[in-house]
Amino acid sequence: MGRYIARRLVQGLVVILGVSIFVFVITRVVGDPVKFMLPLSASAEERDARREVLGLNDSIPIQFGRFAGDLAHLDLGESTYVRGEPALDVVFDYLPRTIQLVALGMLLAVVGSIPLGVLASRKPGGLVDRVLTTLSLIGLSMPQFFLGYILLIAFTVKLQWFESGPGPWRTHLVLPALCMALPAIGRLAIVVRSAMIDELNTQYVKVARAKGLSQRRILGVHALRNAGIPYVTLLGWEMIRALAGYSVVVESVFNWPGLGFMAKTAIQHQDFYLIQAIVLVVAVIVVLLNISIDIAYKALDPRVKLS
Amino acid sequence: MRNGGSTLRKLTGVLGTLLALSLVAAACGGDDSSTSGGTAGTSAGTNGSSPTTEESGAVGTTVATTGEAAESISIVLGSEPTSLDPHLVDDGGERAVNNNIYETLLFRTADGVLEPGLAVALPTQVDELTWEFSLREGVTFHDGTPFDSAAVVASIERMVRLIGAETTDNAGYFSPLARAEAVDPMTVRVLTSAPDGLLPSRMNWLRIVSADAAASDDITDAPNGTGPYRFVSREVGVAIELERNDAYWGAEPDVDAITFGFVPEAGTRIAGVQSGAYDLMVNLSANDREAVPNAAQVAGIEHPILILNTVEGITADVKVRQALNLAVDKQAIVDAIYGGGATVDAGQVLSETILGFNDSLEAFPYDPDQAKQLLEEAGVAGQTIQIIGESGRWVNDGDLLEAVASYWTAAGLQVDLQILEFSEWLDVFFDTESQPDVLFVSTSLDLLDPDKAATSIHSMNGLASGNDDAELAAMIDEARSELDANRRDELYQQIMASANEKAYFVWLVNTADIYGLGDRVTWTPRIDGLLLVKEMSVSG
Repeated sequence: MGRYIARRLVQGLVVILGVSIFVFVITRVVGDPVKFMLPLSASAEERDARREVLGLNDSIPIQFGRFAGDLAHLDLGESTYVRGEPALDVVFDYLPRTIQLVALGMLLAVVGSIPLGVLASRKPGGLVDRVLTTLSLIGLSMPQFFLGYILLIAFTVKLQWFESGPGPWRTHLVLPALCMALPAIGRLAIVVRSAMIDELNTQYVKVARAKGLSQRRILGVHALRNAGIPYVTLLGWEMIRALAGYSVVVESVFNWPGLGFMAKTAIQHQDFYLIQAIVLVVAVIVVLLNISIDIAYKALDPRVKLS
Repeated sequence: MRNGGSTLRKLTGVLGTLLALSLVAAACGGDDSSTSGGTAGTSAGTNGSSPTTEESGAVGTTVATTGEAAESISIVLGSEPTSLDPHLVDDGGERAVNNNIYETLLFRTADGVLEPGLAVALPTQVDELTWEFSLREGVTFHDGTPFDSAAVVASIERMVRLIGAETTDNAGYFSPLARAEAVDPMTVRVLTSAPDGLLPSRMNWLRIVSADAAASDDITDAPNGTGPYRFVSREVGVAIELERNDAYWGAEPDVDAITFGFVPEAGTRIAGVQSGAYDLMVNLSANDREAVPNAAQVAGIEHPILILNTVEGITADVKVRQALNLAVDKQAIVDAIYGGGATVDAGQVLSETILGFNDSLEAFPYDPDQAKQLLEEAGVAGQTIQIIGESGRWVNDGDLLEAVASYWTAAGLQVDLQILEFSEWLDVFFDTESQPDVLFVSTSLDLLDPDKAATSIHSMNGLASGNDDAELAAMIDEARSELDANRRDELYQQIMASANEKAYFVWLVNTADIYGLGDRVTWTPRIDGLLLVKEMSVSG
């Protein structure tokens, strides 16, 4: 297991390096942060002088050499948007709020999807199943920016139960977390349902029924456990998508100042250093999450070999 | 049962571990996040209002962020300051916060007239390059350091140093500054590298920092000014809090404490003012005036304008340029697009209160028939004219351009209106090699002075100029270095008249700054756009 984790970490390192190089080249080729730093009236000479100070006039290989050298001691440069702040510090200022959002969102997704999926699986094709499956489909096919605005209009503007923007989690975080959770609930519930239907038709469940085990035990103890692997796979995927993708949309819609919100701002201002730092940190988290998911398989099913 | 329990336990264990990891990360990050103090989030978190009623939700925000003080104000900005260093960035969010913390040698009245500030009088000229200021006695910085000529000299030299190092964005405001010298502890001389008629206005813009602070190249983490409010805390991305400086030298402000929040979405800012979470919001659209308890409007410093290429292409003919002006119904644009939140420019890029305003000039009348006729005389009817614009940067800019394009189409031109993404538009704007027929920009009258508008779009040497008029450029250079205010006024009036006569632009409107106010706040907005909380009062 230790050797397995070590190998996955090395693989992860290669992935992170690849992503860094990709982002480095893309930003340098298409962008120019100086355009957004200086006022419109600044002269061409001023702009050029600023590019010189930032080292952006050097060739891309030279810039990359400098980037790689600094990266070796975890220096990702200074943000050009949050002026003068080390980019990594900015990331750690905003990351906790994204983690809160994703954690609450995924918690809601788990709490919502398992009962729904189990309920739907009890009588496949029945009324409950059809209603729940339809609801799941609606949930998972609704774009998040759209869902977000519907939630905002309903619960923040009309009912005024929640507020948008930064604030205490009960008033400010529940709604964006719900927006993150609802499509995930749809996808996860469908997996729970089909895995449960498969399991409930297996020989061992029939044996369990025959020997008189309660429905609750059969579901909760035997079937659910075997449905766990596809579920954890999808949940891991949901977490990664939430962290590395959906957070940008959800945080922007709800004005929640997390890393996704900052990522959008950094891209708008073509802040290379901040974009790089955000992508790098998110890549590290994704690699770690993937390793955790593999370990979770092992925990759920001891027959799984980590190799 | 035992067996099943362990399965569920494992499942929840796995999930729990992932969540726990998240929380640990959150906690670690939390330590780093508070750059200085950072208590806003904590107090907001522990306030713990119930989310189930609308009142408690709204009160939760206000109470949590302002503590026990009754007379506090909550202001919502469109963007967070990108720095709290008063010399590094040119950023509206930064000014909104820092102008309550830092002060300048000269102030302006709400109408924009220069008046004494940290200096007791307007400066006197010693010679062409030297201006002398007498400083106010009995002023101290928030940390107790007395304000004196050393602080002023250090502040000016810091700006000169930052300009030299190319690290400040404010070179455009301060590049003529050369150095400063203390005559005595309460008298300072400011020296410029060339005669500079704008020096007093510049000294309304340069925030004075203490001599200690001036030694550092980045003082974003330690705001320390002489102003009516002192820095309390900042939670990055969330809020900045200030409290009243009880040792303030001027009249005691009415408001005890300020919380600044940051919300890019106008709709969300409006909702916050409606619920009472915010007392004051910036950048209210005229069409949303009814949505807030009170709206306050003042003539802003932004003038959206179309720069015509007078050198080549269809717009090289003055008749065409006049026709383009005559074809547009400016008043209809003000009414329909700006909802009254703008005024028609009088054939010049200046508003009445600005030096150089020429009151003999008038807006081109709306005369579509004459426009058509002029285009036909010029032989360009039916030809294509290209407009390069963008949408979203300035108030209603996209709608404005669509309207202009349809007026020109009605006058008999094929209009190729290109609304570019802001970044692409910047590329065109900065490109001095080639010039489109028509380039849209919004010019701002920084320093409440015509110089920047004249230099950047009127002078042929300007970044976005469309003409090659050497005579006009020479006049602009002369006006900048003219020290006599009356003579400067005359020169700019001539510049405005000359540009008007040759129809170098299509003049449009001056957009207003509109603020949304809650019921508790009384305030008259300022023409210079500064949010000075010492001029506000709150009740209840």
